[in-house]
Amino acid sequence: MEFVGAMLIQIGIFTILATSFNLIIGYGGLMSIAHPIFFALGAYGSGLITQATGIPVPVGIAFGMMLATLASIAVALPSLRVSGDYLVIASIGFQLGLLQIIKNSDWSGGPGGLTNIPPMMATVGPAAIWSYVAIVGIAAIFTILIVRWLVSGDYGRAITAMRDDEEAFRGLGHDAVSLKLALFAIGSGLAGLAGGLYGHYFLFVTPEQFEILYSAAMLTMVVVGGIRTIWGPALGAVLLQFMPQAINFLKLPSSVTGPLQGILFTGLVLVFLFLRPRGLLGRALGARVVQEDDPTEAPLK
Amino acid sequence: MSEVIRTRALCKRFGGVVVAEGVNLTLTRGQIVGLIGPNGAGKTSLFNLICGAIPADSGSVILNGTEIGGLPMHVRARLGIARSWQHNRLFPSLTVLDNLLLAQRRDRGRSLVGAYPRSHADEKTAARERAMAQLEKVRMTHAVHRLPTELSYGKQKLISLARVLMNDGDCLLLDEPMAGVEGPAYDSIKAVVRDEAAAGRAICVVEHNISFIKDLCDLAVFMFAGRIIRTGTIDEMVRSPELTELYFGA
Repeated sequence: MEFVGAMLIQIGIFTILATSFNLIIGYGGLMSIAHPIFFALGAYGSGLITQATGIPVPVGIAFGMMLATLASIAVALPSLRVSGDYLVIASIGFQLGLLQIIKNSDWSGGPGGLTNIPPMMATVGPAAIWSYVAIVGIAAIFTILIVRWLVSGDYGRAITAMRDDEEAFRGLGHDAVSLKLALFAIGSGLAGLAGGLYGHYFLFVTPEQFEILYSAAMLTMVVVGGIRTIWGPALGAVLLQFMPQAINFLKLPSSVTGPLQGILFTGLVLVFLFLRPRGLLGRALGARVVQEDDPTEAPLK
Repeated sequence: MSEVIRTRALCKRFGGVVVAEGVNLTLTRGQIVGLIGPNGAGKTSLFNLICGAIPADSGSVILNGTEIGGLPMHVRARLGIARSWQHNRLFPSLTVLDNLLLAQRRDRGRSLVGAYPRSHADEKTAARERAMAQLEKVRMTHAVHRLPTELSYGKQKLISLARVLMNDGDCLLLDEPMAGVEGPAYDSIKAVVRDEAAAGRAICVVEHNISFIKDLCDLAVFMFAGRIIRTGTIDEMVRSPELTELYFGA
């Protein structure tokens, strides 16, 4: 049962990551590949401050979220003022640069990673694991609900319009830079939340866990589950957590398992992009329920 | 008639290409100005400079007596400069109604949190009613739940015009509102533009349809190579061999 609990915790954490990434790249249309480093900022930020000061873990996690949020604003503000395209370059630079700093600094534990991160639960054992499952589950649902709230109603309409045509959006009196910045900051802050939960569960983190390649895993979750859908990234997180376990059941040699996972992940993205670009929960291309015209109105001939 | 927009010595170059060279244009309340000239004359660029889509190299844009040349595009729109685009640029993922609701002019000068308030039900209803009223003007209420891509180009032009009207601004810049439009839609657009001018708005129309300009505009402005060559009535311009040569390259 502990294995199931551990799986659920990882699914919850990756649901937060994929959902927040979906907010940025899916709904916001912002190309960023720095999501792993905001995940890292949450993990390291929370781990370091709770170690150093002894503050309660939830406060530490909130600190990690804030750190990721502030860092994302610092990265995005200059680039978004020029053009959204520059965000890709800025995010690559920030991801690679900060990870190098983490790898080569003493305060972060260097390449060996940060150890002895304080646990959230004072006790160990099944009860603690299931409590953590509940906490991560609540955090994941909170993330999904906040994204759902953002992309529906007045905000959702504005976000969609901004993604469709930014200049026309600005021409209607909307501040596109602030909106993009807000989406990026919220998405990155939620990645920081996932990082904090991750760090205080595993109790140690290493730089390798936040490499740029993890952007590809998050993108796979979003694409497979359904880009610009509320529950799609969660489904993607579930599938991509179970797939490696399913491969393990085949009891293949490790020299085969690793490459097989890579091929399957890459293959999945390619298959979905070709056959179902909006993912499992996304609407099929071209499908739309057209409402009937109002028969009381005379149509224009 | 009071002045709404005035540009003073507006200049813009893209490398060696001059799109505006010392442009002085005045739009007054209740007046419809037709901006004509051959392709590449700088008509759309002048709209872009006035609405802030591109920054001017020099010169100024004054709206109701206030310099707005340094303000970003979204602030100028909030101040009452509404424009349509040559190629409509409706948001394809949103219904016609949502396209219009987004253009509703309101006080968005506060923080982003306050920019998209979850309006009260009565405010939402008022906004919808206002959107429907604009659609009624262009006789497109039947398309309210359609996506723009499900409509013909001409009907998209009508929706685009209705979206401009949602701004309720003092200045309307209409970029080729008649392109691809014919039949009843032609008359609808003409009537709407005339009504809006009568309501006291300053309107500038870029249009290649000379008969539309002739029917509608009080004043015509001829642009060529980023400069205003002549200002007067459309009849004077049509009769001018010099302008005809510039227009048609004859």
